[in-house]
Amino acid sequence: MKTWVLRLVLMGALGSAGFWAWSFFFPAPEHVIRKELLELSKAASIAPNEAPLTKLAKTQKVLSFFTSDAQVTLDVPGRLTQTLNGHDDLQQASFAARSMLNNLKVELVDVFVSVGTDKKSAVADLTATATMPGEKIPEIEELEMTFKKIDRAWLITRVETVKTLR
Amino acid sequence: MDTEGAEARKAGWVRRLLIGRNPARTLLRVIVWVILIVVLRTYVFLPIRVEGVSMLPTYKENRINFVNCLAYVLRPPQRGDVVAIRYSGRSYMLCKRIVGLPGETIAFREGHVEINGQPLDEPYVKRSCNWEHSPELIGPNEYYVVGDNRSMDFDQHTKGRADRSRIVGKIVL
Repeated sequence: MKTWVLRLVLMGALGSAGFWAWSFFFPAPEHVIRKELLELSKAASIAPNEAPLTKLAKTQKVLSFFTSDAQVTLDVPGRLTQTLNGHDDLQQASFAARSMLNNLKVELVDVFVSVGTDKKSAVADLTATATMPGEKIPEIEELEMTFKKIDRAWLITRVETVKTLR
Repeated sequence: MDTEGAEARKAGWVRRLLIGRNPARTLLRVIVWVILIVVLRTYVFLPIRVEGVSMLPTYKENRINFVNCLAYVLRPPQRGDVVAIRYSGRSYMLCKRIVGLPGETIAFREGHVEINGQPLDEPYVKRSCNWEHSPELIGPNEYYVVGDNRSMDFDQHTKGRADRSRIVGKIVL
């Protein structure tokens, strides 16, 4: 009886270790995209008194998440309506934001990822919050991001604001 | 000897108060309570903190409240209900009042809400405004929501048609 219990425990432990190893070496696309979005939010955030080199490095980091022809369409009624096309536009916008703001905390929460049947594309629906210095309430926008798998990396091809209220 | 006995009795009493006469039963009771609280907090009464001024004076900033997630299981949302509307998830939600129901036409004229051309009585609106908005048809599965603070600029106030699937529940208090 005791041997059976020991065998069962060992099998369970081995199974768990195998599952963990499999998820570690071959992570699911949803997991990869979520991790990427977390890194993107960190790169998009602006720390107080960032050095020029840090600004440049973080801008490059932000660009590395997007395809070269990525399109970002932001439509926040009464505040911002802008379409950015490609890395050049994104770089300019990132630099402009970093020169205008001394502090910005970006968070991407409630991420729901649906991977396409071809396993080469995915859509993430998420809520983006941006807290600016001196403001208690963050700016909140719902975004839809389209991802494409290129050379084993999931890159953002399109970002659009979703109208929570129409 | 008496002092030792009194201390032992006190320790026993404290132990009994904390973990009860039957520790196994107490543990089971704690587990049941934790599960119950987690389920209630996640699926029935969702705690929220109201931020922003759009629902003034009904809801002041930083007020703690709850969303009854089961409010619309048996009946559809009603006009006048204050509801929580989700973005992509429930981490952040909009707190608004339903003024327009599916299939109705809504308009703002001289600051007053008009439903199908008839002015709506809104005793909860304490601050007047001069909002103007041409008639808008509300879709079959949509509800028109707006905050109680109409003293804000029309463009600065978040309002509009919310899909039924976005309404998480009714604000309790």
